[in-house]
Amino acid sequence: MALLELNNIYKTYKIGTVEVHALQGLNAVIEKNEYVSIMGPSGSGKSTLMNIIGCLDTPTEGNYLLDGLTVHSNDPEKGKLDDNKLAEIRNQKIGFVFQTFNLLPRATALHNVELPLIYAGISKKARMEKTHSTLIKVGLGDRIYHRPNELSGGQRQRVAIARALVNNPSIILADEPTGNLDSKTSAEIMVLLDKLHSAGNTIILVTHEHNIAEHAHRIITLLDGKVSKDSKTGKGNIKQMIENN
Amino acid sequence: MGQLWESFVMAFKDVFANKTRSFLTMLGIIIGILSVSLMGTAISGINDTFENSMEMIGNDVLHLQKYPWFMKGGDWWDFRNRPEMKVEYADKILQRSKNISFATPEMQNMRNVKYGDNSIQGVFIDAANWQLQHVNSLKFEDGRFFTKSEDRNASKVVVIGYGIKDNLFPNQNPIGEDIKIRGMKYKVIGVLKEQGKFLGLFSFDNMVIIPLKSAYSIFGRRRHMSITLKVREGVDIKTAKDEVTMIMRSLRGLKPSEKNNFEINQQEAFREQFSAIKMGISGVGFGITALALLVGGIGIMNIMFVSVKERTKEIGIRKALGAKQNVILFQFLSEAVIIAVIGGMIGLIITTSLVGLLNKFFVASLSIKLVIISLSVSIITGVLSGIVPARKAAKLDPIDAIRYE
Repeated sequence: MALLELNNIYKTYKIGTVEVHALQGLNAVIEKNEYVSIMGPSGSGKSTLMNIIGCLDTPTEGNYLLDGLTVHSNDPEKGKLDDNKLAEIRNQKIGFVFQTFNLLPRATALHNVELPLIYAGISKKARMEKTHSTLIKVGLGDRIYHRPNELSGGQRQRVAIARALVNNPSIILADEPTGNLDSKTSAEIMVLLDKLHSAGNTIILVTHEHNIAEHAHRIITLLDGKVSKDSKTGKGNIKQMIENN
Repeated sequence: MGQLWESFVMAFKDVFANKTRSFLTMLGIIIGILSVSLMGTAISGINDTFENSMEMIGNDVLHLQKYPWFMKGGDWWDFRNRPEMKVEYADKILQRSKNISFATPEMQNMRNVKYGDNSIQGVFIDAANWQLQHVNSLKFEDGRFFTKSEDRNASKVVVIGYGIKDNLFPNQNPIGEDIKIRGMKYKVIGVLKEQGKFLGLFSFDNMVIIPLKSAYSIFGRRRHMSITLKVREGVDIKTAKDEVTMIMRSLRGLKPSEKNNFEINQQEAFREQFSAIKMGISGVGFGITALALLVGGIGIMNIMFVSVKERTKEIGIRKALGAKQNVILFQFLSEAVIIAVIGGMIGLIITTSLVGLLNKFFVASLSIKLVIISLSVSIITGVLSGIVPARKAAKLDPIDAIRYE
């Protein structure tokens, strides 16, 4: 079974009396351990799709299955999930990485990474072990007690990635993760994401930069709220080849 | 449960992250709790003082007098024209009454008292018969009260209050010594136990008691007199009062149409006055408290709205990471309650230091009950003022919130 199945997704916003059709019958299937980029010009529905995949928002219409769980269905029996249930899914299944990092400014790296575990109701001891090992994994073992303003942009994004990773989510959802970073740091972050993918994580990358998108094995291009192009990059094949050998 | 505890800890840190703001927000609560605890302390202090003083008068004692203790309307001239009390009423009432166990006439005056070179100005001299010790349930530090025969013989003996002993005989046993009251020698036969002040005004320790018959030469015969009666144990004071009224009417030969030309005073008169004072203090205190807490609560609510607005992005992040509505709600509610409770505690600390000051006027102490009430009031104020902003935070849309700058 696919990890993520989007079936005929519509999303309509009402701004005043004007209706904005952000998604218009979008279909997509993403398998476990895929590395997918979502591209498209502004207004194509990237952000809306990202929010729906991330369970921050629900579609107006359509079926969305995530890891065997019905997040949204046209069938009213299966129904829509309420706010708290969506929060639980975000906590358990989604790891967000944002362009602007979105760390709590007054909290240490440790506490920032700990947050999803707190909301998962995990014990203090288990939280500490998990948080430490994850921060070491992203290369910040020596920055645990630093606050975001004491960290460089690249380090902040590493904290954010650690936070996304700490709960072992089904999907890491990265929205322009290098948008606020210089090219050298961007490259480092992409290396980290590549590594996480190799380690078995499913990564969905939203970006408008081609060279960043090229890190993925598959690029889904959106236009006017629909998938206009869905293509493989060379990368996956090479990896496949290496694995096959 | 763990999540809520973590939310509480985070709320606590947030309160301390904005120390100045939190403190300013607390001011209203501090004043509110200060006023409620001070008022409570004052009332209980006044109450204790009052009850102690009432014990000095005795709750089973009737005071038969010309004037009422507290004039409620009526013409002062009517009271003034009443006949004076007579010494013999005491014995006559005792003979006729079933409900009175002891009776004494009493005359009181202020005189200087001397011992050797020491002298005290304006000592309260109480002249009564031998039954006074039973009427007032006098307790002795040392020595005894005068006897029936000493009383009858107008012996020059005196029972002194604890304060008099302290002042005139600091390092000496006063029993058997002679003191001078208006130039007359009186032999000290007893010292009363320490009693404290009556309503904080007048000290029973600073008095001396002499036999009534020996007092005429000091006071003169035409002094204002009263009859003090002890109600027999187990008898309702109202019954006794009614009986004494009847006896007095017959002694005075009043016709049924005539009004009483005497007054039977009792503790109750003080109680009525006192409860009016107490109501006044409570009313004013309650008003100030309610107002301060209202203002304080609105202050907290206001700052919580600001806090929610300021931290919209933070709330968005927390929600994206999986914080449920009730967790966010609890975090902000905790913050409001923490501010209110810390404010309450500061109020109580200030009260504690002010209680020392109050103690100069009457016995005051901050009771545990009052501390619990104050803290409960703080918590309730915190919850009431925090609930609306916290709900607002909990209901924020995560997408809008996370994009908020």
